Amino acid sequence: MSHGIPRSTTTSHDNKSEAAKAKERKQIENYKALEKDVTERIQAQDFTNPTFQLTSTLLAQNPEYYTIWNHRRLLLQHVFAQELASNNGPPSNTTSQEPAHDASTTTTTTPPSNTQKKDTTLSPAQREISLLINEDLTFLLPLLKQYPKCYWIWNHRSWLLSRTSRHLPASASLTFWQAELSLIGKMLALDSRNFHGWGYRRIVVQEIERLSSRGEEEGGGSMVEAEFEYTTKMIHTNLSNFSAWHYRGTLIPRLLSSRAASSSARQDFFDDELALITQALYTDPYDQSLWFYHQFLMSTLDASNPQAGVILDPVDDGVRRRYLEQELESVREMVEGAEDCKYVYQALLEYARRLREVGGTVGREEMRGWLRELRGLDPLREGRWMDLEGKLGL
Amino acid sequence: MSLAAGPGRAGTISDQLPDELRLVVDKHVSYIQSLDTRRDELEYHLTEHLRISGIYWGLTALHLLHHPSALPREGIVAFVLSCLHPNDGFGAAPGHDAHMLYTVSAVQILAMTDGFAELEDSVPNGKRKVAEYIAGLQQPNGTFAGDDWGETDTRFLYGALNALSLLNMLPSQRPNEPPLIDIKAATDHVKSCLNHDGGFGVSPGAESHAGQIFTCLGALSITGELDSFLGESGKDRLGAWLSERQLDDSGGFNGRPMKLVDVCYSWWVGSSLAMIGKLDWIDRERLKGFILRCQDAEEGGMADRPGDMVDVFHTCFGVAGLSLLGCEGVGAVDAA
Ligand SMILES: [Zn+2]
Repeated sequence: MSHGIPRSTTTSHDNKSEAAKAKERKQIENYKALEKDVTERIQAQDFTNPTFQLTSTLLAQNPEYYTIWNHRRLLLQHVFAQELASNNGPPSNTTSQEPAHDASTTTTTTPPSNTQKKDTTLSPAQREISLLINEDLTFLLPLLKQYPKCYWIWNHRSWLLSRTSRHLPASASLTFWQAELSLIGKMLALDSRNFHGWGYRRIVVQEIERLSSRGEEEGGGSMVEAEFEYTTKMIHTNLSNFSAWHYRGTLIPRLLSSRAASSSARQDFFDDELALITQALYTDPYDQSLWFYHQFLMSTLDASNPQAGVILDPVDDGVRRRYLEQELESVREMVEGAEDCKYVYQALLEYARRLREVGGTVGREEMRGWLRELRGLDPLREGRWMDLEGKLGL
Repeated sequence: MSLAAGPGRAGTISDQLPDELRLVVDKHVSYIQSLDTRRDELEYHLTEHLRISGIYWGLTALHLLHHPSALPREGIVAFVLSCLHPNDGFGAAPGHDAHMLYTVSAVQILAMTDGFAELEDSVPNGKRKVAEYIAGLQQPNGTFAGDDWGETDTRFLYGALNALSLLNMLPSQRPNEPPLIDIKAATDHVKSCLNHDGGFGVSPGAESHAGQIFTCLGALSITGELDSFLGESGKDRLGAWLSERQLDDSGGFNGRPMKLVDVCYSWWVGSSLAMIGKLDWIDRERLKGFILRCQDAEEGGMADRPGDMVDVFHTCFGVAGLSLLGCEGVGAVDAA
């Protein structure tokens, strides 16, 4: 699959010069030889450092080669098991009560800064595992920067982190996961829509919560407030941040329940969020990400939506009418200066339909007018507007 | 088969007027036929980890273009069988590890080429064993892992159901035998990926994405719960989200709001719209024009966008999009 590879000035293979063809032949030879070398070593269970280095070379050339990532994990797994089985290995139970080991006897390389602090609580085997994982995470960094959409790199990172949870004491593992969270923060600052990045962030946050809630009160490790704060920061950096708005929405129900928010606190929260997004919409009604969040907020009033955000609680038709009327009024005011913005008319028609469903009234003529504007602005979706006309009985 | 990009490039928007565009069937056929002859290119070798899927994409395009025999059947079936791993899953190429994605491609190819008998010949009880490999990847929460390393994704879940259905091994297809998978847990997982905007994400809470919507609708459609689960208002919400994927400047679809158009979404979005009966909510002619502009009219093949390098993946899904829309020279396709 090639995505977004622009037409280049290089011509097709047949038109390449003899020299270029010879060079390519050589590259293919080297690549196939390297591949063969790695494969044969793994088949022979040669789980040594040279084999490990060869997988690095091959993966740097071709990070999509999933089988080689598997080989790399087999090798690491083997080394971890050996470390743990050796005499230096800790009993698999409580690692935090282990006596401190002398780092100088086992550590030949400089310990990574993010594990240094906790080093004394690790057994020699754990320290070795921690070093190996840290080195591998470092190996992945430039690859991740070069191929931010390569599924297998994210996959391997996530496996490495899961090994810290399995083999290291919670406090040491937590350091790894927290470093990972800050790395993802940096990646999302560069590309705020990276799908893998957001998905991975959810996994990392879950794991940090799990590890840090151990032995504490339930909910003691919850990061929902911090993550909500993070989306606020992202949005203030750039309002047009679709994925951040989405993430914010998914956090809200948990946020409110962790605050044990009363009905009136929920209403205050809802009012604040509406004010935030309305302000943004007045600035740029052409921005889809803002409408997306407005719709999310309004879903709390939609009894027919099984995935409606739980914000207001309880919600009755009186509450629904009041908010739908208020928001309709506010969107009506957006028309001025944005007469050619189809999202405004879509919102008006949607909220008008729902207001009528809960017993409110909106003039049929006014709705017909909105639909007329919408059809003029958005002829691509004429079929949809025709259905809507029928559904609304206009 | 090579997955290397090129050699051709898709036309640019200004090259031709849309009404002069025609589907260059013969050129696409010879483009797909030429793919396996490119072993002297490095890119051919760098894409070996996708080989079996590449064959599936090429073969699908050929079937839709009414040239199902343009690739040699015997060679294809033999290649597929050579990808079978000792654990009864398929890898992307001989020697590559087994993975759900390539096992699904293998099963799809064997179904298309009537090759299940050969599978049984080379491995006694082969269909059953492959089905057991797939079933073995189901997780306690209903979702499916891609391989023994455990990463899960709704793509794998849909692939599993799709392949089991082709193998005739779904619980509903064998009512008198113990079920190989927990179909209810799988369906429940799909349902938990639904978002307030009507779309589905890769896992619960993940942003809606056209590719994931396709896989979730496909899964629900296989289990027969698509209509009952979504209901009218659910279909309206999802139809609205999907129809907004068509962009006015090009007529093509993107996969998420505020992203670039890409010809492969002609299929992911288009077939999703078809599955919920809302293909009329977009402008078919504009979409068709976009797909045709992604062709390389001289050397065959389609690119993600006009002006980019062609490849077999986009050729397959561009052609499948045309098939959905009804286009001369292209056969009909089943949306799921
Ligand atoms: Zn694509």
